[in-house]
Amino acid sequence: MRVTVDGRPVDMPAGTSVLDATRAAGATVSTLCHDDRLAPAGTCRVCLVRVDGDVVAACVTPLAEGMAVQTDDAELVEDARRVVELMVERLPRTALDRSSELADVCTRLGVSPASFADVGRGLGSDSSHPYIELDRDLCIACGRCVRMCDEVQGTFALTLVGRGADTVVDTGIGGPWFESACVSCGGCVDTCPTGAISDIRAGTLPASQAVTTQTTCGYCGVGCTLDVHTVDDDIVSVRPARDGKVNRGHACVKGRFAYGFVRSPDRLTTPLVRRDGRLEPASWDEALTVVAGELYRIRDSYGPDAIAGISSARSTNEENYLFQKLMRTVIGTNNIDNCSRVCHAPSAAGLTAAFGLSGGTNPADDLDRADCILLAGSNATEAHPVVGARIKQRALQGARLVVVDPRRTELARLADVHLRGTPGSNVAVFNGIAALLIDEGWTDEEFIAARVDNFDALREQVGEYTPERVEALSGVPAAALREAARLYGTTARPSIIYGLGVTEHAHGTDGVRTLANLAILRGAVGTARGGGVNPLRGQNNVQGASDMGALPDLLPGYQKVSDAALLERFAAAWGSPLSGRPGLRIPDMFNAALAGQVKALYVFGEDILQTDPDTNHVRAAVDACEFVVSQEIFLSETAAAADVVLPGASFLEKDGTFVNFDRRFQRVRPALGPPGQARTDFDILRAVAEAMGGSLGCGSPADAMDECARLAPLFGGISHRRLDLEGPLHWPCRDAGDPGEGRLYERGFSTATGRAQLAARPWLPPGEQPDAEYPYTLITGRRLAHYNAGTMTRRTANLVLAPNEHVDISPDDAARFDIADGDRVEIASRRGKVNVAVRVTDDVAPGELFMAFHFPEAAANLLTSDGVDEVTACPEYKVTAVRMRRAHIG
Amino acid sequence: VGRPAHQALDEIKSEVRRKGAVTAADEARAASAAGVPVASVHGAVSYYADLHQPRGRRHVRVCAGTACFVASGGGMHVAQVADELAVGVGERSADGAASLQPVHCLGYCFGGPAALDGTAPRVGADVADQIAGRAAPRTPEIPVHADTAPVVLRGVLEGGAAWQTWPAVLERGGAKRVLHEVEVAGLRGRGGAGFPAAQKWAAVAGEREGGPCFVVANGDEGDPGSFADRLLMERDPSRVLEGLALAGLACGAGQGFVYVRSEYPQAFESLRAAVSEAREAGHLGRDVHGSGVDFDVEVTSGAGSYVAGEETSLLRSLAGLRGTVRPRPPYPTRYGLLGRPTAVNNVETLCAVPAIVSDGGEAYARRGAGRETGTLLVCLNERFARPGAYEVEFAIPLAEIVERLGGGLRDGRAMRALQVGGPLGGFLGPTDLDLPLLESALSRAGAAVGHGSLVAIDDGVQFPDLLRHFWAFAARESCGACTPCREGTRRGAAHPAEASRDESLLHVMGVASLCAFGRAIPRTVRSLLRAYGRDLG
Repeated sequence: MRVTVDGRPVDMPAGTSVLDATRAAGATVSTLCHDDRLAPAGTCRVCLVRVDGDVVAACVTPLAEGMAVQTDDAELVEDARRVVELMVERLPRTALDRSSELADVCTRLGVSPASFADVGRGLGSDSSHPYIELDRDLCIACGRCVRMCDEVQGTFALTLVGRGADTVVDTGIGGPWFESACVSCGGCVDTCPTGAISDIRAGTLPASQAVTTQTTCGYCGVGCTLDVHTVDDDIVSVRPARDGKVNRGHACVKGRFAYGFVRSPDRLTTPLVRRDGRLEPASWDEALTVVAGELYRIRDSYGPDAIAGISSARSTNEENYLFQKLMRTVIGTNNIDNCSRVCHAPSAAGLTAAFGLSGGTNPADDLDRADCILLAGSNATEAHPVVGARIKQRALQGARLVVVDPRRTELARLADVHLRGTPGSNVAVFNGIAALLIDEGWTDEEFIAARVDNFDALREQVGEYTPERVEALSGVPAAALREAARLYGTTARPSIIYGLGVTEHAHGTDGVRTLANLAILRGAVGTARGGGVNPLRGQNNVQGASDMGALPDLLPGYQKVSDAALLERFAAAWGSPLSGRPGLRIPDMFNAALAGQVKALYVFGEDILQTDPDTNHVRAAVDACEFVVSQEIFLSETAAAADVVLPGASFLEKDGTFVNFDRRFQRVRPALGPPGQARTDFDILRAVAEAMGGSLGCGSPADAMDECARLAPLFGGISHRRLDLEGPLHWPCRDAGDPGEGRLYERGFSTATGRAQLAARPWLPPGEQPDAEYPYTLITGRRLAHYNAGTMTRRTANLVLAPNEHVDISPDDAARFDIADGDRVEIASRRGKVNVAVRVTDDVAPGELFMAFHFPEAAANLLTSDGVDEVTACPEYKVTAVRMRRAHIG
Repeated sequence: VGRPAHQALDEIKSEVRRKGAVTAADEARAASAAGVPVASVHGAVSYYADLHQPRGRRHVRVCAGTACFVASGGGMHVAQVADELAVGVGERSADGAASLQPVHCLGYCFGGPAALDGTAPRVGADVADQIAGRAAPRTPEIPVHADTAPVVLRGVLEGGAAWQTWPAVLERGGAKRVLHEVEVAGLRGRGGAGFPAAQKWAAVAGEREGGPCFVVANGDEGDPGSFADRLLMERDPSRVLEGLALAGLACGAGQGFVYVRSEYPQAFESLRAAVSEAREAGHLGRDVHGSGVDFDVEVTSGAGSYVAGEETSLLRSLAGLRGTVRPRPPYPTRYGLLGRPTAVNNVETLCAVPAIVSDGGEAYARRGAGRETGTLLVCLNERFARPGAYEVEFAIPLAEIVERLGGGLRDGRAMRALQVGGPLGGFLGPTDLDLPLLESALSRAGAAVGHGSLVAIDDGVQFPDLLRHFWAFAARESCGACTPCREGTRRGAAHPAEASRDESLLHVMGVASLCAFGRAIPRTVRSLLRAYGRDLG
């Protein structure tokens, strides 16, 4: 469309607004109720322009061919000023003391401080929430906060109340903010144009004094782009970047607010060395000498395979690259693994087998086009809140939602169909849906004929999974299964998103394969006809840690150590002989330690004594080692058990890249320096290598990425320079001219045959099943306010939001035990027991319990079993047989 | 049709009736039962006058419309009723015995001042005595006349039965016939905006793309001063429903709604009864008269908001949300109730449809003048010698309505000004009435046809009081969505004379307000100043 703005011609796409055109033309039109993240409201009436002579609000006026838009006549500016003057007439003059959109607009339009009131209306404030403060006197009733909460977050915690001149924002409950439905995403804070809703800690510091560092969030695997504002090496606020590729200006209670840990007084600021059984502060020289000496001694005494390293999915790609290089070159073993082993190893195995590459198949943006979302084993609104919010918005916009989950999660409550099978029944449910797709003719026959292998085998296998049999196996009503199949089978662009509820099972890889079958049958992967199959990765860089080769059988870029030619190439590049013998996986490392084969553990940024299953077993393994190094930012359970503790850096203090759940390389930039003598993990790893007389090369993270790019064809086009210039890049990205491949397999699958592989897998019972002695099934997972071991979030005011752990129990079972909210119970499994308070909720089904593992005092992993996925050794966190009894008080 | 938030508000309404007020716990319970966020309920409760004002065991609504204001010499009746009840205006007495809510309006402009004691009307100069029990309660009938062969009053005046056209159209002609005749008739919306009805229905039919769509009878446009809708809904509800059914057929809608302002409790009951009768007679329901057409109607009540007569506000209210206005486009014909194409038509517009379809559009089009075809119900207030509702043809001179039909003012009083077209229409001086009843002519004179009300004002009311009365109405009913109207009406209510002289304020309200409510305020103020010779310049 060709229009003119102040006489200048502008070409605009269809569906844009007059405001868009004025911006494209470079004209300045002030706005207050507008936010690009929200549907335009057209209520503040500040963005007045003249269109073909009439005064209109630019934000809500659709552009039409040939429009003549005028922004610069004096009368318009006068009108806009009068509107703002009316708006601020009852606002206290102190509104101008802080930087805000309102203050900017006042300056631009020449609204003088005299237009404001001497004092506010006395409508009151609310500071009940640890992070968010409401000062109603500053509210201009623009409704942006309400719309942010509704349209982006989807929580509906806020509302405007009153009518006419009494209109003001309030919580949805009309009571204290802290007690409202607010999930603390901070969206309202970020959009508020006046400071009526503000970050309680940011105070009134002028933004001009702050330095802004754009980086990638270090919590879950969504990969939100954050703007970190610092003053004098202190964070004053963290805000979601408006242009963040995945988060689009949104964040969650963790990324947005939970940064206080970074300057927590108990950060490790000096190396610790165990002397006479006690960890004591030491110099870097001493600590590195001990580490080098012990690792040398053990390698010389027992051979390199007596040393095992666990890399950190929380750290950067560059650090993971260095760590695996350290283990493989300086030490000489493939005993390196990362925590994807205990979460998404079945995804890596399953997706590689089905499609060829070890990652989700489609970019997050494909969710925008999805007309049906099948969400399996993921409580996304708590564990991956920003993606959870996007799924919720899609569902609210009319996309059909099928949720497969034993728990009635927020999204399950919203779903068109909730398939609530018993834990461990996924394969039966997925096979049942596959059978219905085939029986009802909902498969894409052309796609199957052209691009798929094993269809006949699958058809034969799933034939026996009738809805009635699936009901018997899983407890999912046959009618619900049919409806789910109908929705996934008859929509035009279905998308599958899944989480650890699919993978952390004894047959987790089968779960991934049989789930992938559904997308293949529909032709919804590798085509424009669907959103593929996408795991929500648990940690910020768990995809990257594996990408970088922190795996016992794979070199950077998923290249097999067993491939002699490849190994030769790496050996030449690294200037070191390399072992071609695949190393130990994490659970095998513990077993090997207990068997006396592994003597030293180097644990980098991972609290295995809280997060790995069957804690007593892990502790015994740690105790059995002669030497344990922990590279950490806090004295975690694991660090406390180590012989040497090396103080590392948090994501806010380092330089590098993360890869998020949809295979996007994104830049991580330091907003702060590490505290005290703590160093970046990149520097520590280089120093350890040097102390051992080796060298890892790679003078900087950028160099490490460049070296990795030269060795791993999948990442050949990735570099810090390019990321800084172009923004995030999806892998595969094979050379400097490759824009990266967000949607995979459009030109063919990466399997040996170039065709997608259906998997005919039977349902098999879980490793551990409830019985007479342990009649309940415990499911573990995450809660919104906390993250994994809670090492970071428990050192922030998120602890005010969620002060402790509890076990979720159904009302039926609560009645059976005659227990109520807050009563304590003892939960015991065959391996351990914990004492924890109960929360009665119909989130969980009778016979099932749920606990997170965020709190050491309610250590769910004392209970979990050593049952693992038979393909990848991923632990069966989601199914533990337990018994329960009332705990004796005191 | 699932409107869960509305369901929650219904629950709130019954709680308010039962207990006088709702608590946060009531809001939470209603929200949870309906499966909607409590924020939506809390926001709506705080918005609607009926829901957030605490009620006493005896709840009296007193009319604060212009006609009653004029009838009692400047709104004296409000204070008198308050005295009788021993309660402040807009308050509940400390002992919870009584509460008093000012409303705009009750539709007794022909005989006011008026009040509703519970749902029982109390009407006349002695309204306070009636409330006190010292005078016999009076509920006068609306005097109804036709100055032309009646169209919308066919049932009221001639006893013509409703539901004659509907079965015939279902049998022959269907949607095409309705659209054709109404288009030929040139029927335009009677709510004030004057949009061609057939064009609106064709838009809905075109936008629905096989999906659901809705038709809504707007029974909340009864401007203070007009009682035409109340007359039609109370006395001939079946004709309203038949018009709605025909509109539904034209649009392809399976479901219609009648949204009745809460100030018309009798109209609500009449419509409900008419729906039941129509269902029993087979005019509504599934496969109506064997035609394969499904159509049913739900009658629903407002909760005390003048602006709810604006269609985007009405649709939000119908959905159970805060009744604030939103910008158009998208128009409801594309994005209406539940996000589906929706035609919102005034009650009087719909009432004309059965006659137009059965007589043929041409007969209708021959009446009126130019594009403003057909007839209109004009309402004359109690200052006239012959107050009441008159069906007239468009283009009849105002002077003729005033003199020939209304008989001039009663008791030899002198007209000081004539308010035409409702509170947001305009005021004309007694010498300015040589104008035809046409939007084109009236808008040039700074007034509007609006909903066809003519409120004569005599010397019993002083100009400053009238000005204050107007701004108070505007401030009380402004939805608060847009800045110019929200803040401008606030200023006007606080400083009526100053605001009325503030040309920059009036200008910005007129050009920058979001909807017709705010945009029309300056015109009204200016016309009032002009009519009283207070041109300030």
